[in-house]
Amino acid sequence: MNKLLKFCLSLVGIVLGLFVVTFTVYFFNLDMKLTSAVAPLLQKWYDHMEHNQYL
Amino acid sequence: MKTVEKIVCPTPKAGEQSCSGIYGKGKVRKRREWRGVKDTFYDYTRWLYLLGVIGKFIIKPRNIKGFFRYRWMMNYLFVPHGMDKFTIGLRDEALRMTHIAMNYVIADVTQAIDNCFRGDRRVGNDKAYSDRCVITDENSMTCFMMGFDPKVVPAILREVPTMFAGNIFNQFSVTHYLDVAQEHGLPGDVCPMPEAEAGISIDDDFCVLGCCAVQNNTTCDGSLMGNGIIAKRLEREYGIPTFQLAAPLRHKEDDVLEYAAQNIKDAIAFIEKHTGVAWSWDTYFAAAKRVNDATRKRVAQLEINCTNYPQFVGAVFSLYNDTNYMGNCGRNEEFCRKDKKLLALAERGLAAKHMMAREYRHRCIVWGVQPQYLIDMLYWLVQCWGVVPLTDMLSMVNTDMIAEEDTPENREQAYRDMAMLNMEMIMRNHTHGGYKVLVDELWEICEKMNADMVMMWEHMSCKALTGMHGMFEEQARERGIHIMWVSHDLCDPRVFTRQAIRDQVNLYMRTVMREEPLDPAIEVIDDNEAW
Repeated sequence: MNKLLKFCLSLVGIVLGLFVVTFTVYFFNLDMKLTSAVAPLLQKWYDHMEHNQYL
Repeated sequence: MKTVEKIVCPTPKAGEQSCSGIYGKGKVRKRREWRGVKDTFYDYTRWLYLLGVIGKFIIKPRNIKGFFRYRWMMNYLFVPHGMDKFTIGLRDEALRMTHIAMNYVIADVTQAIDNCFRGDRRVGNDKAYSDRCVITDENSMTCFMMGFDPKVVPAILREVPTMFAGNIFNQFSVTHYLDVAQEHGLPGDVCPMPEAEAGISIDDDFCVLGCCAVQNNTTCDGSLMGNGIIAKRLEREYGIPTFQLAAPLRHKEDDVLEYAAQNIKDAIAFIEKHTGVAWSWDTYFAAAKRVNDATRKRVAQLEINCTNYPQFVGAVFSLYNDTNYMGNCGRNEEFCRKDKKLLALAERGLAAKHMMAREYRHRCIVWGVQPQYLIDMLYWLVQCWGVVPLTDMLSMVNTDMIAEEDTPENREQAYRDMAMLNMEMIMRNHTHGGYKVLVDELWEICEKMNADMVMMWEHMSCKALTGMHGMFEEQARERGIHIMWVSHDLCDPRVFTRQAIRDQVNLYMRTVMREEPLDPAIEVIDDNEAW
């Protein structure tokens, strides 16, 4: 019984923890803030790619 | 001048009253909007859903390969930001409808990219799959595919994810391609949308797949120029034969219908020849039933918007209709379920008299070549000035039923129905076809929807509407309708910034209407550099 209770409590803890983390990311727009830091690096990658430009 | 009843919301909305707190300088917003516990939680779950859609897509190795091969893929990192643009200030049913419709459009586009990469000679290179695919234009009525099972003969609208949808999430998404096109000597005074598509082709940044392609004449010099360049590369370099589906532009004239129907027959025969799959009337009439169902639901949504409590409005209303009416054209059953859900929500919102802002002062029809997908303009218009955009030019498409029972007579009628749908597709149905469809129908819509205002988008690179400026002005004066001209350059934000676009509204509302904003904190927003 103790084991089951422990399991349930840890499950609730994990779900709550995940909720707190993801909700913080969501509310403070941290996903897009991270993306804005990564985007210039990607831009450089695409700028350096060779393309067969043709008209 | 005509006036409409001012509607005031009796209760303040849940959460923060002004959305000014979310905006910051630079590319991203400071935070997301607080909409009260219930609606913030709903918005959060939809954000999780979108992350799930993106995650499910990028987990495939071939999609990672495609991500690093194609520059336009970077725009899809900004999907959550794009979604936030369309939900400012929304609560209750309006928030849910916007999410249901737009989330489905995003899922549909994600599937389109997945299909593109599967067949792309540089990425997935699934030759057996590619040999069954038909490439179609982005701005194309896909009715000529209604008789082909989409699982057997997929229609690949490769310009949608490459150009159009990418631009929804990032206003700078096509500036590179515009520069490429102009570096190769193409004129810069055409519509940037087809010019960007031409630039993508010149830059060799389209996926290459399919056994054949169908292009159609849209509405302008830019489109004709772009199609020629794209078709040349498709045919001569990649060996993909391309059919030109040239719809008559004077689509209201009776004598063009037989020619247009024959053109549809020729397109179908072309696809049958290259795919080796025969047209199925069972598949066609099943799709025709779904087209009629979508038409009925769209009309019902517009009826709701005729009341004092419009429910489903804005860029997402237009985007969803665009995707459903043209890109889908009855081929995907899921749209029927979404339509039903959206209508049920709109009816619930109407019964509860829910509003998107604390006051509705004006009822507005949005007309002209519209850039509202790129910015949060229409949602801002409601929140800042209490001007409700009841509907827009691109959403006012066919309302007639097409033949849906399989009889010998209806099989002939079906070609005429497809021809009519093709001729009256989005953009072409109002910008071409004569004075009646562009000018007269606007006043009929104003009358029916009890609008006292028209926001007239003036796309400075578009020649389709320029000759009518004076007529619009003169006739609006005669009818006592306020007409607010707002210039822009569609997907080139270097010509008109977001604030330059909003300033035209601010100026009109303050000087002509002599009004103060509902929410002065968002009259000027420093988001010119934002995606």
